[in-house]
Amino acid sequence: MKQRFISSAQIILQLALTTVGLTGQTYPGKPKIIRCRSLEKETFSCWWKPGSDGGLPNNYTLFYSKDSEEKIYECPDYLTSGPNSCYFDKNHTNPWTTYIITVMARNEIGSNSSDPQHVDITSIVQPDAPVNLSLETNTSANMSYLWAKWSPPPLADASSNLLVYHYELRLKPEEKEEWETVSVGMQTHYEVTSLQAGVKYVVQVRCILDLGEWSEWSSERSIQIPKERLPPEKPTIIKCRSPEKETFTCWWKPASDGGLLTNHTLLYSKEGEEKVYECPDYKTAGPNSCYFDKKHTSFWTIYNITVRATNEMGSNVSDPHYVDVTYIVQPDPPVNITLELKKSIKRKPYLVLTWSPPPLADVRSGWLTLEYELRLKPEEGEEWETIFVGQQTQCKMFSLNPGKRYIVQIHCKPDHHGLWSEWSPEMYIEIPTDFRVKDMVVWIIVGVLSSLICLIMSWIMIMKGYRMMAFILPPVPGPKIKGIDTHLLETGKSEELLSALGCHGFPPTSDCEELLIEYLEVEDSEDQQLMPSHDTPSKNTKIIHKETDSDSGRGSCDSPSLLPVKSREPRGLPSTLQTQDVRAKEKKGGKGSWETQCSASEQKMLPCNSESIKSCTWLAAQLPGNQAAMFAYHSTVEAFRITLNTTNVNPSPVLVGNEENRQSLYPIAETVYDDVEKISEMEYSKTDQTTVQVRQNQQNDKSPFLNPKLMDYVEVHKVRQDEEPTLLLKHKENSGKTKKSTIPGTSKEYTKVSTVVDHHILVLLPDQRTQNTPVSQEPVAETSQNPQDSQAEKSTGYSTTAPSDSRGDTSGSDYMDPSSFMPSFK
Amino acid sequence: LKTGLLLVTLLVSHMLLTKEGVTSMPICPNGSVNCQLTLEELFDRAVKLATYIHFLSSEIFNEFEERYAQGRGFIAKAVNSCHTASLTTPEDKEQAQQIHHEDLLNLILGVLRSWNDPLVHLASEVQRIKEAPETILWKAVEIEEQNKRLLEGMEKIVGRVQSGEVENEIYTPWDGLPSLQLADEDSRLFAFYNLLHCLRRDSHKIDNYLKVLKCRLIHDNNC
Repeated sequence: MKQRFISSAQIILQLALTTVGLTGQTYPGKPKIIRCRSLEKETFSCWWKPGSDGGLPNNYTLFYSKDSEEKIYECPDYLTSGPNSCYFDKNHTNPWTTYIITVMARNEIGSNSSDPQHVDITSIVQPDAPVNLSLETNTSANMSYLWAKWSPPPLADASSNLLVYHYELRLKPEEKEEWETVSVGMQTHYEVTSLQAGVKYVVQVRCILDLGEWSEWSSERSIQIPKERLPPEKPTIIKCRSPEKETFTCWWKPASDGGLLTNHTLLYSKEGEEKVYECPDYKTAGPNSCYFDKKHTSFWTIYNITVRATNEMGSNVSDPHYVDVTYIVQPDPPVNITLELKKSIKRKPYLVLTWSPPPLADVRSGWLTLEYELRLKPEEGEEWETIFVGQQTQCKMFSLNPGKRYIVQIHCKPDHHGLWSEWSPEMYIEIPTDFRVKDMVVWIIVGVLSSLICLIMSWIMIMKGYRMMAFILPPVPGPKIKGIDTHLLETGKSEELLSALGCHGFPPTSDCEELLIEYLEVEDSEDQQLMPSHDTPSKNTKIIHKETDSDSGRGSCDSPSLLPVKSREPRGLPSTLQTQDVRAKEKKGGKGSWETQCSASEQKMLPCNSESIKSCTWLAAQLPGNQAAMFAYHSTVEAFRITLNTTNVNPSPVLVGNEENRQSLYPIAETVYDDVEKISEMEYSKTDQTTVQVRQNQQNDKSPFLNPKLMDYVEVHKVRQDEEPTLLLKHKENSGKTKKSTIPGTSKEYTKVSTVVDHHILVLLPDQRTQNTPVSQEPVAETSQNPQDSQAEKSTGYSTTAPSDSRGDTSGSDYMDPSSFMPSFK
Repeated sequence: LKTGLLLVTLLVSHMLLTKEGVTSMPICPNGSVNCQLTLEELFDRAVKLATYIHFLSSEIFNEFEERYAQGRGFIAKAVNSCHTASLTTPEDKEQAQQIHHEDLLNLILGVLRSWNDPLVHLASEVQRIKEAPETILWKAVEIEEQNKRLLEGMEKIVGRVQSGEVENEIYTPWDGLPSLQLADEDSRLFAFYNLLHCLRRDSHKIDNYLKVLKCRLIHDNNC
């Protein structure tokens, strides 16, 4: 019947809908009954969801009927359970009845009804969640547990207090996902055990009636479970230290306290005593320490120290620490450090460091003796320099780099035992630079000034040099030697030269050359020794040239008055100078001399007269004032020649030596008048042999005569007939100068050395006739070998030979350098 | 190498000290008959010698400990077993300063005498230690010699300082020889360890007391 009613109602509604559809407005959509629920089996509520409102305000009406009767009722209370709900109070609720419920929406156009809902009270019972959940933790017997309490869900109708709920509780560690659910029963509290210590748990509860469904879970509650409660772990004694060798302090490190308040107790016993004492003072040295004052401190006694940590759960004792205070003294750092910069006499700065022992340390009584160590480094430096200074309380530091900033620190330690103190705070000191700079400036100024002076001096020298030199050292005219044809030399045909010089044929050319080479070598060495100006011939040349021009030019080598000009070497031997002169001449105005040479050589082979005259003439032409001297010379040479041709005698080594090294003549020679001629003949006829010997000597440098260092020479000054013949020994000094000049021109000239007797007697001949050719021979040979250098050497040799006289005044000549003979023997 | 260096150092210092001994012949300023070293000089030398002896004792102890005592826990057993413990010596600064200097000097003498005997035995017995390094052997002999020298010097000082009559020779006998000859190596090594430990302690005491005495008697507590 009821169904019929409903279906008829539907038809009506549909009709109405159709009508609405035409007007654009329509009857309401179909509402839906969402749920019906009873909190406590005695009342229940139903909620619906409206359908579309059809564009118009709707009215909702809930109808219900009971399965036991036909009658339809409307909802008794639309308000209590909120909008779109209907509350059935106790009076309208019958647990034994099934309710058929429909909701009808109605507007102006029409109405619409929901599907009917069959409601059995017992099946829709679901209580609200329990409330007032509270949690507590508790610890007993080393176990943590959780205590949860809550209240049953509140009901609108207070009369239903007799309801019996069953509860469920669930919990999980906060960070986990899975819940652990516990059935609680009817109590409203629960104790959870077997919890993890130190974890935070989340807890919820829900409830259920004897029928129906579980309530929702209550809101979450969380609680931190405290950590485990344990006895403390073993503390550790870190160290003991005595700062002044009178008291000491020990520190320990507590281990885990087991989550409980823990007390630490330091206990000690001393060597030789059974009794155990407790720390006298926990406070003075800060937390976790024990301070032993003077009364409690003994030395040379071992303390056996332990620390006991105690809490509710129990206690634990550290390992024993054995301490003899003697060995644990570690003083404080030194104090009152001062850095002072002082200047030494030498104006070099040095650093004076002073300091005092740490205030606590009583070093005066001798009870404690401290030793110090300091370290320093430049501020930017990496490595410290450490200096142990012993018991002093001051230190001087030298040799610090100026201009740097140094960091200095000091620490101290008892003698023998104990530990170094901490380093004192860093001290800075800057070593000034000005000391050094001043010095530098002074030196720079000195240097500049002195170089300036040098410059000025040398400038003056250059400007006035020649004059000055001439003044200081009178010029030495270069020797001009006739008999060598310089043209021939210059044209460079050595063979011609050789032949011209008479080397051809006798001895064989090759020999000749060899000989010459050797000779050259020797001369070289001589050269080096005697001619320091070798490298700078031009300079000398200039000077000499002048002089030679003005002077006789044929200048004899040895005349002191000819003494050079001046060579760079102060010790320049006369011979040296002479040599230079000659050289210079050759180079500058060399032609003449070469010519001379040439002619001389020619003369050797040929009857010399014409040639010699020629050369003489030439010389004469060049140097008109000296003609007489030249002739004298020539005649000398000739004389030699004659002798040469005549005889062959073994050469005297002395002579040989003389040629090369004049020192052999050094010994005073006596002039012998009477037999001069004879002797000379004898001596000079040795030619060939001599030559050979010379060569040999030169080959083995062992010859005593070859020592160039010994170069001295003999100068024979004017020898007068009526007087005892005198030979002046010329050494390197110019001592002979004066004598020479004093002797008047009347004297006879001994231009020819006839012989040397006994190695130290020179026999001079007053002969004037013939010219001796041999002089040139050797030089020529050299030339062929070594055109450039040999010129110099050659001429050297030559000059020594030729020099005979050369002085402008007729008095000249007089001296015959023995070396001049040498070539003649070839 | 390290021990070699040490040896050299010791030799050098020994030489220095020996030299010191040589020059310790009285230098008479004016050829006076009774010229003698001043007390200060005597103390200087005594302090140097005591320092040297203590240096040697420390070294020999350290070497021994490093070589034979590692991990054996000897230190715990070594408590209160020095034969000189019966001599009541100052144990801190106050005591050292309060004791009369004559008493302190006599105590020093007592300690030195007490070591005469054990040092002789130490020098001989130490040779029997297995693989005893040369440095230990050498030092044992050296310490024994230097201890005698110091004893002589101290007797001189005491004779100079002492106002009253010289006390009877105090010293404590040593009965540790058998322990140095024990068959059990561990026990024997401990006996050596203990002896060296005591030697180090007593030599330090003497050095320290002498320094205190020197500052007190010579420098009027103002070193």
